[in-house]
Amino acid sequence: MEKYRVIEIQRNVYAKNDEEAAKVREKTREENVFLLNLMSSPGSGKTTTLVQTITRMKEDFKIGIIEADIDSDVDANTISKTGAKVIQLHTGGMCHLDASMTSQGLDTLETNGLDLVVLENVGNLVCPASFDTGASKNAMILSVPEGDDKPLKYPKMFRIVDALIINKIDALDYFDFDIEAVKERAKALNPNIEIFPISARTGEGVQAWCDWLGKQIKTWNGA
Amino acid sequence: MHELGIVINIVEQIEDFAKKNSLTKIDKLVLEIGELSSVVPKYIEDVYPMAVEQTMLQDTTLQIIIVPARVLCKDCHTVFNDITNKCCPKCNGHNLKLVRGQEFNIKEIVAY
Ligand SMILES: Nc1nc2c(ncn2[C@@H]2O[C@H](COP(=O)(O)OP(=O)(O)O)[C@@H](O)[C@H]2O)c(=O)[nH]1
Ligand SMILES: [Mg+2]
Ligand SMILES: [Zn+2]
Repeated sequence: MEKYRVIEIQRNVYAKNDEEAAKVREKTREENVFLLNLMSSPGSGKTTTLVQTITRMKEDFKIGIIEADIDSDVDANTISKTGAKVIQLHTGGMCHLDASMTSQGLDTLETNGLDLVVLENVGNLVCPASFDTGASKNAMILSVPEGDDKPLKYPKMFRIVDALIINKIDALDYFDFDIEAVKERAKALNPNIEIFPISARTGEGVQAWCDWLGKQIKTWNGA
Repeated sequence: MHELGIVINIVEQIEDFAKKNSLTKIDKLVLEIGELSSVVPKYIEDVYPMAVEQTMLQDTTLQIIIVPARVLCKDCHTVFNDITNKCCPKCNGHNLKLVRGQEFNIKEIVAY
């Protein structure tokens, strides 16, 4: 019994994932591939927004999509119709993607030659916020029907993203959703956050989002 | 359910650590979980036996230390625990910063 000793480790549980994420970032940097991690609750409009985004950007950028959302064979199908390269990850009911799954996804997609890869993360506003995927930038979608109190309920997600897309603004008239309040709450959590109100249905506001994304890709790829 | 995936990951990290430090037997694992981290201690305890099965940690006990949240007022430097307060209990300031309560750490192991 006296041989037992207490060994201090004091290591953050996420440290291992953070190391993997750094490797992903190093690799995508070398290959000049910009990786966007797109997160939201289920049904906020990730797939619809992606279709809009691809349609507007495919002339200028070679695009690949990694689908990880649960039950999204359908999504992969929808995306493939745009002509973008797409693969479906089977996450086995996991509620988030981590960096090593992302790395496998990138290998399967074969990213060489692509300018932009988007990861459609699992629909969830909690877990993905704790797991760095190694993305160049992180974005989230909040849709109007979900309510304007989400920044108060899921502060971590709003803190870690670079961009917030407010989707389904075509439905503003039908919901009690205060866009200015959301902007204010998001900025209070994250002063540098970029905010894009859009309708993935009508296309309103989507170009501003694509312009921002295009600029990020060019900066990352050193063009 | 992400607790199982997280615990499996922790077990891998401990096994790595044990190998590197030539530890042959582990008796106990101590985790620190902040009151405001997105992890539920009860779920961690529930999935622990499953996650350690047939690993070096198979016969270990798990101890979880809950770290209470602490908020600092950047105006008057008061530190308080009540996170439901929207302002500083002393000066009513709103310039608040969470200084503890979000951690999720592998604190220590008992081993030889
Ligand atoms: N009214 C409206 N509906 C939308 C908009 N964007 C997406 N939807 C609908 O919301 C549902 C979920 O969209 P989807 O893109 O599959 O969401 P995902 O689960 O986040 O990928 C679908 O029925 C879409 O047609 C929008 O801007 N306005
Ligand atoms: Mg989808
Ligand atoms: Zn104060």
